[in-house]
Amino acid sequence: MKKLTSFLTAVALLTSMSGCDKGFDELNVNPIALTSVDPAFQFNTAVVSTAFGYHNLQYETIIVKQMINPFSGVGAAGQYNQDNRGVTAANWQQGYRNVVRELTDVLAQTKDVPARSNLYHMTRIWQAYQFMMLTDTYGDIPYLEAGKSYLEGIVKPKYDAQEAVYASLLTELETASAALDATKARVTSDVIYSGDITKWKRLGYSLLLRAGMRLSKVNPTKAAEVVGKAVAGGVMQSNDDNAILRHNANFQNPPGAQLNGGQADFFYLAEDFVTHLKTTDDPRLNSIAVRYIGAKSAVDQKEPSANRTAAAQIGMPQGFDNTTISAAVKTDKLVSLYEYSQLDRSRMANAQAPTFFVTYAQTQLLLAEASFRKWTTGDAAALFANGIRSHMRQLASYGASTAIAEPAITTYVGANPLAAGKELEQINTQYWVASFLNGPEAWANFRRSGFPVLKPNPFPGSDLKTEQFIRRLTYTDAERNVNKTNVEQAIARQGADLLDTRVWWDKK
Amino acid sequence: MKKKYGSRWPNQLGFSLAQGLLLWLVVGVAYAHVTHAQENQNRLTLHAENQEIRKVLTDIEKAAGVRFVYSSQVIDVRQKISLHTTNSTLEEVLGKLFKPLKVAFELVGKKVVLSAPVPGSPETGVLSPPQAEFETAIARRAVSGRVTDEKNTGMGGVSVLLKGTQQGTNTNADGGFQLDLPDGTRSSPVVLVFSFVGYLSQEVTVGNQSFLAVSLAPDNTSLDEVVVTALGIKKQSKSIGYATATVSPEEVTVNRTTNFMNALQGKVAGVNITSLGSGPAGTSKIRIRGQSSFGGNNSPLIVVNGVPIDNTNNGARGDVSERGSNRTSDGGDGLSSINPDNIESMTVLKGAAASALYGSRAKDGVIMITTKIRGAGTGIGLEYNTNFTTDTPLDYTDYQYEYGQGENGVRPTTPFPTSGQWSFGEKFAPGMTQILFDNITVPYEPQRGQINQYYRTGNTWTNTLSLSSGGEFGGFNLSVSNLDNKTILPGSGYSRRTVNLGFTQTLAKKLTVSGNVNYSNEYRKNPPNIAEQDFSPVVLFSMANSMPMELLEKYSTDANGDEVRWSRFTNRTNPYFSLKRFDNIRTDRVFGNLTARYNFTDWLFVQGRIGQDFYSREQDYNLPTGTQRQVPAPPGFVNGQFVQDARNVRELNADFLLGANRTFGVVGVNLNLGGNQMYRKISRHNVLVQDFFSRNLYTIGNSRQRDAVYDLSERQVNSLYASAEVSFKDYFFLNGTARNDWFSTLSPENRSILYPSVTASFVFSQAFASALPNWFSFGKIRAAYGEVGSDTDVPPYASNLFYTINAQQFTSVTGAAQPLANISGTVVPNANLRPMRVSEKEVGLELKLFNNRLGLDLSYYDKLSSDQILRAQTSDAGGYQSQLINVGKSQNRGVEMLLTLTPLTRNNFTWNTTFNVAYNVTKVLDLGAGISDSQITVGTGDFTGELRQVVGQPMGQLFGFGYLRDAQGRQVFDAGNGRPLRTPTQIAFGSALPLWVGGITNGFNYRGISLSVLIDFKLGHKLISGTNHNAWRHGLHKATLVGREEGFVIGNGVNANGEVNKTKSGVQAFYETVRSQNIAEEFVYNAGLWQLRQITLGYDFSKLVSRRVSFIKGLRLSAVANNVALLKKWVPNIHPEQFGFPSDNLLGLEATGLPITRNIGFNLNVRF
Repeated sequence: MKKLTSFLTAVALLTSMSGCDKGFDELNVNPIALTSVDPAFQFNTAVVSTAFGYHNLQYETIIVKQMINPFSGVGAAGQYNQDNRGVTAANWQQGYRNVVRELTDVLAQTKDVPARSNLYHMTRIWQAYQFMMLTDTYGDIPYLEAGKSYLEGIVKPKYDAQEAVYASLLTELETASAALDATKARVTSDVIYSGDITKWKRLGYSLLLRAGMRLSKVNPTKAAEVVGKAVAGGVMQSNDDNAILRHNANFQNPPGAQLNGGQADFFYLAEDFVTHLKTTDDPRLNSIAVRYIGAKSAVDQKEPSANRTAAAQIGMPQGFDNTTISAAVKTDKLVSLYEYSQLDRSRMANAQAPTFFVTYAQTQLLLAEASFRKWTTGDAAALFANGIRSHMRQLASYGASTAIAEPAITTYVGANPLAAGKELEQINTQYWVASFLNGPEAWANFRRSGFPVLKPNPFPGSDLKTEQFIRRLTYTDAERNVNKTNVEQAIARQGADLLDTRVWWDKK
Repeated sequence: MKKKYGSRWPNQLGFSLAQGLLLWLVVGVAYAHVTHAQENQNRLTLHAENQEIRKVLTDIEKAAGVRFVYSSQVIDVRQKISLHTTNSTLEEVLGKLFKPLKVAFELVGKKVVLSAPVPGSPETGVLSPPQAEFETAIARRAVSGRVTDEKNTGMGGVSVLLKGTQQGTNTNADGGFQLDLPDGTRSSPVVLVFSFVGYLSQEVTVGNQSFLAVSLAPDNTSLDEVVVTALGIKKQSKSIGYATATVSPEEVTVNRTTNFMNALQGKVAGVNITSLGSGPAGTSKIRIRGQSSFGGNNSPLIVVNGVPIDNTNNGARGDVSERGSNRTSDGGDGLSSINPDNIESMTVLKGAAASALYGSRAKDGVIMITTKIRGAGTGIGLEYNTNFTTDTPLDYTDYQYEYGQGENGVRPTTPFPTSGQWSFGEKFAPGMTQILFDNITVPYEPQRGQINQYYRTGNTWTNTLSLSSGGEFGGFNLSVSNLDNKTILPGSGYSRRTVNLGFTQTLAKKLTVSGNVNYSNEYRKNPPNIAEQDFSPVVLFSMANSMPMELLEKYSTDANGDEVRWSRFTNRTNPYFSLKRFDNIRTDRVFGNLTARYNFTDWLFVQGRIGQDFYSREQDYNLPTGTQRQVPAPPGFVNGQFVQDARNVRELNADFLLGANRTFGVVGVNLNLGGNQMYRKISRHNVLVQDFFSRNLYTIGNSRQRDAVYDLSERQVNSLYASAEVSFKDYFFLNGTARNDWFSTLSPENRSILYPSVTASFVFSQAFASALPNWFSFGKIRAAYGEVGSDTDVPPYASNLFYTINAQQFTSVTGAAQPLANISGTVVPNANLRPMRVSEKEVGLELKLFNNRLGLDLSYYDKLSSDQILRAQTSDAGGYQSQLINVGKSQNRGVEMLLTLTPLTRNNFTWNTTFNVAYNVTKVLDLGAGISDSQITVGTGDFTGELRQVVGQPMGQLFGFGYLRDAQGRQVFDAGNGRPLRTPTQIAFGSALPLWVGGITNGFNYRGISLSVLIDFKLGHKLISGTNHNAWRHGLHKATLVGREEGFVIGNGVNANGEVNKTKSGVQAFYETVRSQNIAEEFVYNAGLWQLRQITLGYDFSKLVSRRVSFIKGLRLSAVANNVALLKKWVPNIHPEQFGFPSDNLLGLEATGLPITRNIGFNLNVRF
């Protein structure tokens, strides 16, 4: 009994023993993981992640009738005017997960660090650009509370009305561009301009111009005011100022990689686009297109049958899928759908082709419209001609095989002067061509300007209820699951979560 | 072998001091007062006053390490006697006990065989049983025979009596007997009664035969069965207040599977085992009492010889993610390293109370494996086992063979068609041709049996050789084993070599040192890619039904070695091209432990143990160059990927245990106190490279782009635990345990967690023995409550935010390489996580009735899993995709039943039936306030459908889009194109978790021939079949024949305006809608199955062989068949288990695995 008592005492002593977690704090520190990095490197990740994706071909590029994918399947989207949430979510996920998250973190790390002020302001500009694409796509979006799941514990951010988002974006672009200071430390690791402050300022003001022009329908006064500020600040001066991401073998052009991989024979140039370029004798068609003459199947889309002359190109009409297109194939006297013209995946859609975010050509065309509207000074016709010329010259950036000879440019520009009464249509039709492969911008400007004049996609069984064209993309299903209250507030404010609902600036 | 008691028995028995002390202790308990006898070895002091004989026998058994064997005819064990001996030898005690009872006794090995004295035998009771070889010259009729057990081994000491008399004999050590039948019995039938303790008695009518072969069936009462419980503590079965199941090693060695756990399918109540359709070296999915949390892995803890081992699931989309594209193969689990031939016993701890001493690791129960550490009996033993099976792929497809390859009603007529996966072509007619590949014209006719043409017959051969010895103070067991498997996928296989050494040795009678070392070397070669179309044989299930396989093979590559395009979708890799994919996984593993136990006194011991599981796993695999699927490499390179991965996993467990066991009158007290320190470290080097300079040279050095990573994870859990058991009169037991864990992975405030349990067991048949009828052999009720947890959900370093620098730099405009960095992971770090917690209530009833011919073990449990760590999706707009939070709560309730029955035992024939069934219902109780619509999506199917957890519903709800129907239930079709419309949101189709899991085994034994037949079942759950989804949209499904003749389909229903649908839809477009609209409803099936799982036919040739070859002690040959036949299923075209994902978050989202195989072969066991 005595032994038992001492045994129990020992038990009691042992259980009350302390120090059972000795060394645990040290053990739970990961000795090899990075707990901080230079935020400039995160900025680079954000910029590279902003590159347009394959999903932009599935909606935006199809909506504006530049390309078409007739094939059904999981990718069914713009070609059927279909609300495919798997694809509508892509801009959202890419923007918030990969871009906004990094940039928000960069802002938090650099906000109060004078030595990094240029990085801070560059980040504000790029963040504004990303938010602009998000709000142009969806309308009301999480803005002020976005990207703060970790920093502020906000896992269900509130949505801000597009009007408020634009108000803030304009301020951000204006103040950040102004605050960039060439006398302060330069962000040499920057992959777009190597930290060239002048170029960053021009990008900032060019984006401000773009944002201002976006308000032309909903608030012309404000638009004019912003255009004035942008011009005063100094927009892009030449193709050297273009915001280009130069993809390489390790960071491939996302649509280029897809079109050279499994999806090679899925996408064709749309009839409207090819016809426009052909009827205007646009030399750019030679740079863009290829047609595999006599191709009976995807396997036949090979170099020996390639024809890159503009005259040979035949665009694929919308309104069909791969099974119903046989009627059109017959009408066009082709042997199969595989014979329609395609974006040349060996040139402009090659896997290392650059991504053009904001260009001098686009900027010139916006200025042409602004000056036509008398929102700024300048010769609209000259700006228009210069916009075309710059875009044609810009194609040389894809390589020698897409470069357009100066005489051809001169011929085209001379043959297509700005004509009275058709200014807006001409300018914005050129903007449409100049924004080829920049789906979000081509679509936004089409919605804003109403040009080019396109026939609605005739595919039967459209998800569109009231509109002829898709006016916005729908929110992700995930938002309804995890951020229900906030997304429903946004829907109540801006209208049903449909492809038909117009965003704030897209006034009828 | 056989020693008579009068000789030198104490030495032979090894009657040690320890045993003497134990006897003193136990006998003292039983006799209501403690006698402080001299601690004189070999001497017994007993004081029994008016005790039942069976009680006295039991106590002597325990004390002296002997076992009494007797039939109820020999001695009435309820008879009460008094016995007082002081300092007596066993011989004296036995003499004093049995002489007055007129019972003869004999010592055979460690058995004391009791028998009725044969008339004429000496009064002192020594019986010399007749030898089998004894030739009787007596004219009277004599009968001889042999009695064997269920393994067909001869049984010594079996009482053979003439019914209704005390006349008879006992069998000799080999089971032989000879008996003279008394005069005057020729006219009337003579009935012999064979009885042996622990076995069911059998009556045999003797006809004209002179030789009787009698086989006795075990009775499963085994009142004093010892069960290995948590931490390796052995307990009497009757004292346990929770459900356990013990598994005999024969269940996994005779009719075996490559991963031995799969052989237990349908055999253990409440344990749902699924062998996945991922190949024989794949993961075995085990769920005890159902899925208990929303996490994907609810696997039990695997403990070998008291120490946990790693059972990381490398299955397809399992615990470990692999780098590189298109990786959905099964790299196996930790269980596969175990050689089943080395298993001595297995115990399954099902509930929280059972596993409470494992605390934070035990939420899904524990499978405790004890390996062999010494030979049985004394001397040296040699055993050889060989097992060979052939594995035949089973093709369950029932496709249409009326319309062949093609699209839109047109067969391929031009070179290089890309319709290789479509069967929407023309109607077959004699003489038709088609053009395939580079203008090959072949007949346009059905190609049946493509699946069996592609796969081959596999086989598995296992050889094990064991050497063991045993003696008074210890022994060892050494076994060497080799397994070679050729998998049905060409070029794929698995081999395993294991060496296992176990030993135990007692030193100076107080210190016992034992241990085991297990080495395994495993090589998995090319485990198949499953469940996705890329690089996977899955495309066979949507192969155009007129595609000649030999052409597909011939044209798998072009002259450059690149894949030839044959399908519109380039991800449908030609299955013959897929064979260029290689994957080598080599694992070297050593696990084992060393235990030292010291007995201070007879009632107090301390034990220290250190165990380690260490393995290195090296893997290399490629993504072959030249597929249609991949982006071309930059100029000068060929595309493709190659990955080298090297992982080291170490889990170190050090523990101590202090135990005390004393009795105070009728009250017994058993205390244990222990502590454990678990340290686990995983490190991993991985290099992923892409694009190569030289073709077909998959090396890091030959690559263009290289990305190397190193991962490290360390965690530690320190624990202290205690258990206390109080028993009253050996029929009431109350047990309590407590374990406190301290976690390195948690914040200091959350770090210390206590896990308690309390259990009770009441053997009412013993307490009310006198009031119960004779046929009531045994009865016990039990109740338990326990709390356990799971530490796996809180990964190390979960509270911090980390950054990653991209392995590649981006070339900026100036040509300089610029670094890219980003935040690591997509989960918001959370510093306040706690391990989830399971609390479980359980009650049970055990009965043995009618001389043990009927047994019942029934459990009811109610399990609440709370504080579950939910990977709650967050808004993408916050920048992250999910957040780990402790909110989830779910409930599992169920009943388990094990029924054992001996319907027939007569004249050399016995029939045993065991029926086990478990009914498990689950319910999601809470997902936290932050979840909209009270549901979360936990998994998405590869082709269609989702798995969700929905508050108020059973776990694992299958969701998907359905066909749109109007208020009257009519299906709605698009007015414009005539295709089916889908529901606006995804709808629920029911749970993917089975309600009923069980099996029925019928065993028959006739003259040594044994036949065992297992039928198992899983019922009450649903699946969404991706295979049928693909067969449908590719025109292989028989239901897609509707409309082919006409060339259009008019869906039976209405349009959106409520008018009868009259719109014609193109046939192919109509059936493809399920893909473009992601409609799942068509492919929701009852996932249940009834399967004839195993047939085993065995015969023991020991007797035949040992007569001729004396050095062979035993030889048993069994014919085995596994996955014999599907008796009933509801899903067409596939086997319901032909499914490759181990994760509970992908349950029921079928996506085509490797075909299930039927395995037929033999098992040969020889003992020398």
